[in-house]
Amino acid sequence: MKTPTIHRPVALRPVALVAALVLASAGPRAESQDTVTAITNARIMTVGQAGTIDKGTILIKGGKITAVGANVTVPEGATTIDAAGRVVTPGIIDAHSHTAVEGGVNECTNIVTAEVRVEDALDPRDISIYRQLAGGVTAANVLHGSCNSIGGQNATIKLRWGVESGDALLFKGAPPGIKFALGENPKRSSFTGGARRYPATRMGVEVSIRDAFMEAKAYKKEWDAYEAAVKTIAGTRGKSGGPIHSGRSAGGLGGGAVQRPEAPRKNLQMEALKEILEGKRLVHAHSYRADEILMLIDVANEMGFKIATFQHVLEGYKVATEIAKHGAGASTFSDWWAYKMEAYDAIPHNAAIMASHGVLVSLNSDSDELARRLYWEAAKAVRYGGVSEDEAFKMVTLNPAKQLGIDQWVGSIEVGKDADLAIFRAHPFAADTRVEMTLVDGKVMFDRSKDVAARTGVAATLGGAK
Amino acid sequence: MTNHRDAVLAAFVAAATLPGVVSGADTPLVIAGARVVTVSGAVLDNASIVIQNGKITSVGSGLTAPAGARTIDGRGKTVYPGLFDGLTTLGLAEVTQGAAGTVDTSETGDVNPHARAWVAFHPDSELLPVARAYGITTALSAPGGGLISGQSAIIRTVGDTPSALTVKGPIAMHMRYPTGAPVIDFSQGPPNQEPKTFEQRVQDRKKNQEKDLLKLKGLLEEARAYGEGLLAGAGVKVDLPMEALALAASGKIPVVMRANAEADIKGAIKFASENKLKLIIAGAAEAWRCVEDLKKSDTAVLIGVDQVPSREGDPYDAAYANAATLHQAGVRFAIVTDDASNTRNLPFEAAMAHAYGLPREAAIRAITLAPAEILGVGSSLGSIEVGKTATLILTNGDILDHRTNITNVIIDGRETSLDNKHQRLYDRYKARP
Repeated sequence: MKTPTIHRPVALRPVALVAALVLASAGPRAESQDTVTAITNARIMTVGQAGTIDKGTILIKGGKITAVGANVTVPEGATTIDAAGRVVTPGIIDAHSHTAVEGGVNECTNIVTAEVRVEDALDPRDISIYRQLAGGVTAANVLHGSCNSIGGQNATIKLRWGVESGDALLFKGAPPGIKFALGENPKRSSFTGGARRYPATRMGVEVSIRDAFMEAKAYKKEWDAYEAAVKTIAGTRGKSGGPIHSGRSAGGLGGGAVQRPEAPRKNLQMEALKEILEGKRLVHAHSYRADEILMLIDVANEMGFKIATFQHVLEGYKVATEIAKHGAGASTFSDWWAYKMEAYDAIPHNAAIMASHGVLVSLNSDSDELARRLYWEAAKAVRYGGVSEDEAFKMVTLNPAKQLGIDQWVGSIEVGKDADLAIFRAHPFAADTRVEMTLVDGKVMFDRSKDVAARTGVAATLGGAK
Repeated sequence: MTNHRDAVLAAFVAAATLPGVVSGADTPLVIAGARVVTVSGAVLDNASIVIQNGKITSVGSGLTAPAGARTIDGRGKTVYPGLFDGLTTLGLAEVTQGAAGTVDTSETGDVNPHARAWVAFHPDSELLPVARAYGITTALSAPGGGLISGQSAIIRTVGDTPSALTVKGPIAMHMRYPTGAPVIDFSQGPPNQEPKTFEQRVQDRKKNQEKDLLKLKGLLEEARAYGEGLLAGAGVKVDLPMEALALAASGKIPVVMRANAEADIKGAIKFASENKLKLIIAGAAEAWRCVEDLKKSDTAVLIGVDQVPSREGDPYDAAYANAATLHQAGVRFAIVTDDASNTRNLPFEAAMAHAYGLPREAAIRAITLAPAEILGVGSSLGSIEVGKTATLILTNGDILDHRTNITNVIIDGRETSLDNKHQRLYDRYKARP
């Protein structure tokens, strides 16, 4: 399944080189398992039980947070990052991204493309990784496009700038997921030019999902039966001690052998859907209108699976109760609307209403540009609907971590969690804030002072600096 | 025929200005005890503003309210000039994708100088009350597409008819600086491109660009001659595109030319100088690479902030720090959204520029007085001064802060409703069990 990553010559990608050089000289790097990094004198928004610590220290060892608090002793020999006057937060997590993908993210040719995997097309040299680190982003849910009712498999990544392979970006332990899409995009109604293909209506979208799961259930039944049979035989073998021989070639081996049933043919598309039915693969469903959100909940209930998150979910505020009852999360835009018909009823209070109805809400970017200022997208939840500042900031940190099933490692600053951190100049919602430093696995991946210092030529005049 | 030509001549000479809604005998309004960010002058604490007949008649402390005035308690609030988005498609675009019937931004063909934005404004656009409720009181609404897109107007975000929405039009002639890049119309199906080498494509672009520039130059010369003929009373046959383009060719209205790359910005400056155009550059993503040229030619730019750098090798904050670079160099600029539904994010684009080096005062100026001045209405809009139009907003905090809310919007001396589609849907659904 693995397709080779195409490594473009570095010479064609000057910034990758420059940014790599910046990194090479970038101050404290806690690469050794033994080295301790200490972030001191910082205002720490833990987003965890400890709340906000006005002036405290974070210790990092082996990429993990080993201590957080107001009274933490910095061990001798530790590399220190003095964050006086600055605000340290958990790294921002983008629950809907298409970044760091080589080529397109839309395998558009079929209604169901559950077999394709974003992880096979990850591009660790995408400059967007560095640019988003500069916006404090440390992890992202890289999703397949929304061309199909059931699209491809996602890749949850960490923004490890400088690694050599796509695999090295993968968030170890993150549960696998998949993209679903409802409404105008799988209908292809806003896209002229290409040949029309099924489905062209919301009726067709519904039936294409039901149909696929009918098939998946039959597939699962076949495999369950096979596995049960194998288990039974294994039990028999355990008693008799005789060998098991598979299907057709069993003859001629003597009387003691038990015939093993023939395995059904593996179907990679059906495998993914089977995992959904087994609750092993998270469904991230691109959706806009309230009716189609309810439709998918009905289909999921009928087929016996759960939706992990509704993505975009711009009319989620109309059916927040139903989303909460299903137990799905919601990952939405802060305020985009009217860019297409199904976004015409989008309101910026969406996050606030869904949250007040008990839905776990995150705010995402779906954009390499917007991803760089998700911290301000969270501030909009305060403006529109009066979400508290703490709850609003969770919408780009702990909440997306929970939605992606990675909150045991990231999303808050707590002992034992990964040292994925953003260091802001001021409160992340303040009008003059910006990210000064970003760490992933305890390593400094972005350092603004180093970045600015490395600029030459006309770039050095940017911002009126020189 | 003579009558018609006289009318055309009169319109040409006067650079046709449509009257908007004129505030009639309005109740005088007083905003009392507020923090007033005048933009043109100092920030005044605990100050009052008196508004009569749509104008600001006094600003300061110790003012007397006119008889019968209504007072808005400004204590704890900050007053700013209404936010001015210097490049939008407000009123022209409703649902931008998949609902072509609601979009009137781009005519067919390459040359549409006679397309006038204010003819097509949709007063019941749901986008207008949304923009207004979040502080956007004023905007340039401009057509796009083609080589010469048409004429823009300044709108106020309240009004029941197209002319009531229109503050002034025409403001500028909108053009695209030809980059030579092939324009692909996807509505005509997937492009059928024959394979070419990189060098061939570079050559093609250069040839296309030269052809387009020559075409543009020819049109401008023709328009200039047409305008001179009109003025001389020669029997010129009515030609609507030429009549419209003559306004720009003769420098009566500025040309807003879309250009982003360094070479295109410099090319536009050179072209405008050769053809005696009053140039404003829209987009100008790489303006920070061209400060000397911009400064020397005194060219103003309309820039966006929330963008990714245009080149892979650019500093990550190139678009964020573009404004600070221009400010430092003394280049005239305004921050614009170049959008319709997202115009309410205008102060946040200014905030990003502020976070990356643009001083606070300059950031607020870039979304109020600066666009007014660049677009030729600085004497009546964009700041809080006696004699200016009373188009103001009141907030409960710093306009650059995302957590701030707008509490009152006053346009032409009248307090306007903050009701909008989003508020209505919010009120309806927030309490749904």
